[in-house]
Order: sequence, then C-alpha cells, then structure tokens
Amino acid sequence: MTSPRRGGAATRHLLPVADRADTARLAWSLLRRRRLPLTAAAAGFALAGLLGLAAPWVLGDLVDVIRNGGEVTDVVRAAVVVAGAAVLGGAASGLAIIGLGHAAVPALARLREDVVARALELDPEHVEEAGAGDLLARVNDDVRSVTQSLDEALPITIESAVAIGFTTVGLAALDWRLGFAGLCAMPFYVMGLRWYLPRSAPRYAEERVAQSERAEALLSGLHGSRTLREIGYERAWAGHVADRSQRAMSVSIGVFGMLTRFFGRTNRAELVGLLLVLGTSFVLVRSGQVTVGAATTAALFFHRLFNPIGGLLLTFDQVQAAGASLARLAGLARLAPAPTADVAPSTTLPGLRLEAIRHRYPDGDDVLHDVDLRVEPGERVALVGATGAGKSTLALIAAGHLAPTSGSRALGGTAYEELGSDGVRARAALVTQQVHVFAGTLRDNLSLAAPDADDDRLRDALTRTGDSGWVDALEDGLDTAVGGDGHALTPSQAQQVALARVVLADRPVVVLDEATAEAGSSGARLLDRAADVALAGRTALVVAHRLSQAAAADRIVVLDRGKVAEEGTHAELLARAGTYATLWASWSQS
Amino acid sequence: MLRRHRGRLVLSYTLLSIWQVCEALVPVAIGLIIDRAIAPGDLTAFVVGAIALTVLMGVLSLSYRFGARLGFGAVQREQHALRLEIFDHVLDPDGARTGLLAGETVSVATGDALAVSTVVRQLGYAVSALVATAASAIYLLWLDVALGLLVLVGVPLIVAASQLLSPVIARRFGAEQAAVAGASGMATDLIQGMRPLKGVGAERVAAERYRRSSRSAERAALRTVRGWGALSAATTGLSGLLLAAVALLAGSRALSGELSLGEFVAIVGLTQFLAEPVSQLGWLGADAARSYASARRIADVLATPRLVGEGGNAPEPPYALELDHVSAGPLRDLVLKAAPGDLVGVVVDDPAASDAMVSVLTGERVPDSGAALLGGTPVSSLGTRERRSVLLVAAHRVDLFDGSVRFNVDPHGRHDDDALTRILTASAAEDLVTAHPDGLERRVRASGSLSGGQRQRIAFARALAHDTPVLLLQDPTSAVDSVTEEAIARGLRATRHGSAPRTTVVITSSPSLLAQADHVVLVLDGRTVATGPHTQLLERADYVEAVLR
Repeated sequence: MTSPRRGGAATRHLLPVADRADTARLAWSLLRRRRLPLTAAAAGFALAGLLGLAAPWVLGDLVDVIRNGGEVTDVVRAAVVVAGAAVLGGAASGLAIIGLGHAAVPALARLREDVVARALELDPEHVEEAGAGDLLARVNDDVRSVTQSLDEALPITIESAVAIGFTTVGLAALDWRLGFAGLCAMPFYVMGLRWYLPRSAPRYAEERVAQSERAEALLSGLHGSRTLREIGYERAWAGHVADRSQRAMSVSIGVFGMLTRFFGRTNRAELVGLLLVLGTSFVLVRSGQVTVGAATTAALFFHRLFNPIGGLLLTFDQVQAAGASLARLAGLARLAPAPTADVAPSTTLPGLRLEAIRHRYPDGDDVLHDVDLRVEPGERVALVGATGAGKSTLALIAAGHLAPTSGSRALGGTAYEELGSDGVRARAALVTQQVHVFAGTLRDNLSLAAPDADDDRLRDALTRTGDSGWVDALEDGLDTAVGGDGHALTPSQAQQVALARVVLADRPVVVLDEATAEAGSSGARLLDRAADVALAGRTALVVAHRLSQAAAADRIVVLDRGKVAEEGTHAELLARAGTYATLWASWSQS
Repeated sequence: MLRRHRGRLVLSYTLLSIWQVCEALVPVAIGLIIDRAIAPGDLTAFVVGAIALTVLMGVLSLSYRFGARLGFGAVQREQHALRLEIFDHVLDPDGARTGLLAGETVSVATGDALAVSTVVRQLGYAVSALVATAASAIYLLWLDVALGLLVLVGVPLIVAASQLLSPVIARRFGAEQAAVAGASGMATDLIQGMRPLKGVGAERVAAERYRRSSRSAERAALRTVRGWGALSAATTGLSGLLLAAVALLAGSRALSGELSLGEFVAIVGLTQFLAEPVSQLGWLGADAARSYASARRIADVLATPRLVGEGGNAPEPPYALELDHVSAGPLRDLVLKAAPGDLVGVVVDDPAASDAMVSVLTGERVPDSGAALLGGTPVSSLGTRERRSVLLVAAHRVDLFDGSVRFNVDPHGRHDDDALTRILTASAAEDLVTAHPDGLERRVRASGSLSGGQRQRIAFARALAHDTPVLLLQDPTSAVDSVTEEAIARGLRATRHGSAPRTTVVITSSPSLLAQADHVVLVLDGRTVATGPHTQLLERADYVEAVLR
C-alpha cells in the first residue's frame, strides 16, 4: 500500500527455514527448562513399557502351569499380577502423557511467542516480498500442526517406541535366539520406511504448498469480498478458491494412498517376524531347549508389538509433518532478536540530515539519485512530487524503515548506524498510508504507542487530533471493540486514531507519508488540522499529497524522478515559477 | 454427510471390518499353531499353520489398504464439500455478516472442516472395532458361555467408563481450540498491521499482547492434556483388568481340562488384542465431541445473515439515480438526482455520511425514511445481481487481487488489448504497463507491491472497464497527485460522457473532478444544502470551505 513501486520480476526472498540440527537444538533448548515434567514423562513411559511386559510373561508361565497340571492358586496369582500391572501401567501412562504435555505445551507456547515477536521485527518489505501468506501460515497452520501432534501423535510415538524397545529385550531374555528371530523382522520394517520416506517427503511438501495456496486465495477473497461482489466476480473467485481446495484434496489423497502401501509393507514385516519367532520356537521346543510356555510368551510378545509399531508408523507422517512445521517455526524463532540499543531519548529536538541518498530496488528500479535533505530541529519540511518521484521511498529511508543503497543519514548529528534501529525508532515516528485498525478495544489501539498511558492521556490525544465526540457516542467508550468483527471505524476516525498514536508515541521526529489521503478527500481537511497538532513542536517531514499541506510547511522540497528539483518556501517557489508553481496553478485553478 | 458418500462408505466400512476380524484371528491362529504344531512338534501341522497365517495376513493387509483409502477419500471429499459450502456462503453475491476476522474464517474452513469430516473416518474404525469385538465375543461364547459373557459385558463397561471422561475432554478441547484460534487471529491481525505498528515503534508492545493471548491458550491446552492423561490411564488400566479376569477364568477352565491349551492361548491373545479396538471405541466419544464443536462453528458461519436483504426486482431503464429524501444514520433528508447521462459531483463534509450513501446504494443499509431509486425502483427491493449489472458502486477502499494488471482491471475478460489500453490511459495508469516489460500481464499482489496511488488508479480503471449504465465513485483520486487527478477527471468525462453518455455520480472534493461535473450537490451535515455547477457554487463560502484547496 504505502510501499513504493516494486516491479513484478523481483526474486522472492523467502522466509528462513531451519535445518534439522538447528530445529532439534531449538526444541531441546525450549524443553530443557522443564526438567520436572520431562523426568516424570520419561519415568512414566519407562514404567508403562516395563509393566506392559508383565501380562504376556505371566500368561506364558501359566501355559506351562497348565501343561504341568498346576494349582488354581497359580492361576489366581497370575491374574493378580496382570491386574496389578494393568492398574500401575495405566497410571504410569497417564502420568507420562501429562508430564509430556506440561513439558511440551509451554515450550510450544514460548516458541510461537518468539516466532510472532521475530515476525513483527521483520522488515515489512521483506515480508511482502516473501508473501504475507507464508508468514501467516506459519503463525497459524504450523502452530496448529505442532500443537496437534503434541496432543495426539507424540505420546503415541514415544509409548510405542518404548514398548518396542522393552519387548525386544523381553524376547532376548526368554532366549537369545528368539530375540534374534524378532530382530530379523527389523530390516523389513526399515525397507518399508526407506521406500516410503524419500517418496513421501516431497509429496508432503507439495501438500503444504497446496494448502497454503488455498488459504491465501480464501484470505484475499475475504479481504476483497466487497469489491468482488460489486464487480460480480465473487462466484468466480469462490470457484478459484474451490480449485485450490480441489488441488489440495487430490494431493492429500495421493499422499494417503502412498501411506497405505507403506502399511502393506509393514504387514509383510509383521508376518515375517511372527513366522520367524514361531519357527524358532518350533525348533527350540522340539529340541527341548525352551518350554511351550516360553514359546507362548514369545509369540504374545511379538504379536503385542503389532499395535505399537502400527501406532508408531501411523503417527509417523503426523510427526513428520509437525517436524516440517517446527522447522519453519524454528527458522523464524532463530532469527536474532532486534538488538535493544540504548534508547535514551535526546532532550533537545534533533535535526534530520540525509546526504547523497541513492536507492535502487532489488528489481533494478532506480528510485533515488543523490538526494540531499535537511530538516532543522523543529522545522517542518514538505516533500512534493508526482507519483513515482520517490517520495514514499525517501520517507521510509528518513524514518529508518528502509536502508538506502548508499548515502548517509543522521539524527541530531548521530549516524543511524550508530543509533541502531531501536535508537532511530525511539526518536522518529512514521505514519504510513496503510491504516490498520487492530482487533481489540479502542484503548488497545491507542495504547500500542504508549502502554503506560492512562485514559486521560488517551482521550487527550484523541481530542487534540480532532473531534473526540464520537468516542463518547460509542456504547463502551474506549472499551469499545473495534477492528476485525468489532465496531467499524470510518476511515477518518481510523486515521485520527493513527495520528493520536503519533501524539502518544511522542517522538521528537515525525515522518508523515500521505497520512491524510486514505481518509478520502472529504475527511482530509479535518485530518490536515489533526496532523498540524501531531506535528507541532516536532521535527517533521511530510509527504504532501494535498498542496495545502505543502503550503503550511516551513520549507518545500520538490522531488522529480528521484532528484531534488526545487527547494524553498511556498512564496519563494511560487516566485521561481518552476515545477511547484505549475503544480500549484493546476491545484488552485477552477 | 454420511449419505453424501454412501456407496464409498459401505464398501470402506466392510473392508475395514474384514481387516479388524483378521486382526482378531491372528491370536487365534497363533494359539492353534502353538497347540497343534509347536507343543506336539508336528512339522506338517506347522507348515499348514504358516501358510494359513500368510494368507490371513495377506487378506488383512489388502482389506485395510483399500478400506482405509476409500474412507480417507470420503473424508477428503467431505472436507472439500464443507469448504465449498463455506466459500459459497462468505462469497455470496449478497455477502455474509459473519462477524469473523478473515483469519478466523480461514481457520473454520480448514481446521474445523477437517475435524468434522474426520468423523466419517473415525466412524469407520469404530464400526470395524465393533465388528471385531462382536466376532471375538461369538467365538468366545462358542468356546465357553461364561467367558463369552465376561467379554461381552466387560468390553462395553470399559467403553462406558471411559466415555464418562469424554465430555470433559471435549469441553476442554473446545476451549483450547477457541483460545488457539483467538491467539492465531491476533497474530494475523498484528502481522497485517505491521507497518503502522512499526511506525510508532510498537512491535514489542504488540508481541507482549500476543504473549498474553498465547499464555491463555497454553493454560487451556494444559487442561486438555490432563484430560487425555486421565483417559489414557483409565482405558489402559481397565482393559488390563479385563484381561486379568479373563486369564483367571480361562486359566482355571484350562487347568480343569475344559479348554485346550491352544484355546487358552487364543483367548488370552484375543483379549489382549481387544484392548485396541475397545480403546478405539473409547476415543470415539472424545473425537465425536470434538467434531461436534467444530460442526457447530461451521453451522454458525453458514447461518450468518446476508449483508443485503432479499429482493428480486430488476431496475427498468432509463437508469436515473435518485436519493429521495433519504435519512439513514448521518444522512438527514438527503436529496440527490442524477438524470441519465449526467456526471454529478457530490461534496460531502462528513466521511460517515459518504459511507452511509455508499451502503444505501449497495442495499446493505435500508434507509430509515425516503428511498434510493435506481430507474425509479427502490434499491432495497432490487436483487444484488440485477442492481450491480446496472449500478456499480466503487467504494473508496481499494481491493486488488493476486494476478495480472489485466485480470485486476478486467476480470471477466470483456475487453481487448486496445480497449484496455484506452481505459488505462483514461485512468492515467498507462505508465504502469507501458513502463513494464510484462505490459498488461504485469503481476499485481493483493497487498503491497504497488503504491497507494497506483492501486487507486487500477481500481479506477476497473470501475471504467466495468462500464455499467450507472457508476458511483467514492473519493476515487484521494491518493493521486493533482496533475494525475486532472488527467483522470478528463478521462472520466471522455470515457463515460462522450458519444453514448452513461450516468456517473462521484463523491469527491477534488476541484478537478468537480469542474468536469454537469452539476454538483453540496451535502453538509448529512443534508443537501445546495445544487448547481461547480463555478456557480464556488461563490458560496461553505462550498469553498468544503472543497479542499
């Protein structure tokens, strides 16, 4: 919106995705802080796994008891052991799930908080280039995917892995040859995985892309629904979104078909393992080396593994998808937080000095050539020029929101590089054309700029930037929900709120980029006055859209195709009869 | 929902049932092999048993593969169908007053649609679990009535006991979903407002707000986790207890010789196996409750009212546009007439009044008194399709879409390149395509990539390209410089008011546009105070005050 011209052919700079090692490191650093629940989870899983072996072991023994004509008390004892193991095992498994949740849920919450904090620090130019959809998909879909796998898949995965480990040990404890027979099934499982993983990974990636395209199409349709309806394109757009949904669907179905073929390979491994265990038992029992009871236990052990292995593989894709989501989240979370510089605001009003500023966008658009601009302390300078002259770019550069290709910038005599981006932002506020009413109360919208301000100060800021009668007319005053599904503010009210934020932010330097334009021309006049108040007593650079704004400035700089064409007061420039005088004539004719 | 995919689902559920029965038969086969082959050391019996086991596993594997695929396909189709319903509702010609953030709607169309449709698949697993349980019970009853009864009564008891926990979990899960959606909605909103946030250096404050919202989602998630933990403890413990009871009974029967060794192994193996389908059935309640919560959210969205009321009339030519003593919010007894072919300027001092005019003309707002008439018919009684084919209302807010300049100006593809170039020239937007190697195919993004003025000129070109008999423009040149504004004003006159004049009403305070108008209506405080040509009105002090210079 406010962003200056950008060609279509620019290469997309995508947002970072962490590699596997970095993702694991990050996950571990988040989990490490929650030792107690993590230990409880580990103990719970181990205990549950161990107790799970009790039933087949005892029941196998029972087979021998039966064959050898034992006592009823033996049967009762076995049943009591099974019952006890079940109760304890259930408790252990409950403990494990709760412990895991208490370790992982807060870790995930920290992660998503870091992600949003880093995302908000990103350069908006960069985000728009990468596609806001990607960023939004990360804070929504990826967070959801990881949450879901924490709730369901992760406990199953761990439980299953533990059961497999313990059972293998149990088999070997019966007889090493039985353990070996069980292990012989492993290569078949591995073969299945090796067939599946390399094939499925790109398909899952394709699925995610299809899903994010679907979300992006729906989002822009919703944002522009009024226009779509007006031009009679809403059904066609719904059709476009439906196409995306259809595509996402067929990709998903394809991926699932592959998954079921993978399960077929799992069944093959199960069969091979079971036959090997039974065959080994056959040989060992015939040669009298193990009892029929031990053979029974072995068969029950291996059969018991069907579900855990199935569970493990069933959740594998979910865990894999969550892993990919985690990597995307980690990619953002691992970005270095913006340094917190020493932001002690200067006591005297600083001047702004830009020297030899050149700027070229990545697509090769040369926007600014050697622009020198000076705003003395407390002075108001207006930037005037036709569309495309580079006004908005220069405003972003002056406010420290965009680094020029070359040139030097200083505030109050200190270079921007030395102040750091925090230092510059602590001194300079920027109002852009994009007017956004944040979902929340009116107070939330204002206090963004001054979290500690009380109601009096918030109201005062509104009153100073225009008529605040409309606030009192609202049912809940400052507590009225606005933005999103709340009360819709008119464009000029929204713009007034934006200017009130500038008053509240109370920065010595203000850069105003066509701030009154979006309110529509009918509200512009009121907002011109509001801007007057917001700029009073500050060093100000105003991108003048209305020439009335320029006439009210102390000095005017006329930009023409990225160069300073004229400079002087309103009266001086009129007297020069140059570009500005022509513009003024066109503006004030009729 | 189930009906929509009946054939597919019946086949899927049958195959899944075969799969589960085969799973139940595996322990029976193991018992037989131990009893008949391993214990007596009979090689022939072992070979026969191994072949039978191989066949059993083959059937098991294939029935799962195709049963699950069919079920998954039904889930996907159902999900897609639900999404289409949502898309159709929110992108209806009459609009929808959902009251949801765009991000929330997306979350309903993805997350909730998934949760609802998954029930189709869960039901398949539940049916097959039930069939396998029944088959096992029949086998057990046949072996021993008491044992059979124990399983037949025990299994439903376990399911019932774990069901007690389901509503609690569902409630907590619902609260968690809502909290997560709230946090996601906030993140989306903050990211969309990134530039204004950065302008006043409020990134940290915003991140802190998100942190609070995330913490409340975290607390909700922990409550759900505790519910899952309790449910897992209950199902594991109870199914183990049943196994103990079965072992006790079967063991004593086997001791007394009433059951063979193989039958004992089969019974124990079966009971151990049954823990799985039984806990499947146990989860079903929680899953169903979760789907129900999502289904309600979808139903809520689909039940939201339309923005525009019912009305099926079509306007009749000639298409004059008239506001006949309209009162609606800030509008008080507003009078405005645009005869066919007129270019009328409207100067409105109050932006709220200007917005009210726009919503009255789109039919979103019905006047408290008076009427907006299009070709003599009240707009509120017109169908949206009929109204917009005659009257295009181009509101001030500019919406562009991902796609080419051509697509954004002429989405329906009604104009050839020459006509489009003429329209872009009239909109002072030809530099956007002539100075770009891709020309009319130049990519435009929904947000960003173009300046406010460039976006506004594309939207203006779109309004011209649409070429309706009547056009209302709201502040079409607020983001362009005065030289461009002058060019646009002449372009508007030339395009719409040349040889076959159309009717145009433009709300503006731009002298350039007003000078082109046949007459200008001055609206102060929601009332019409004066009407006349621009030059004549310039003699009035209040007009000069309202028309920004």
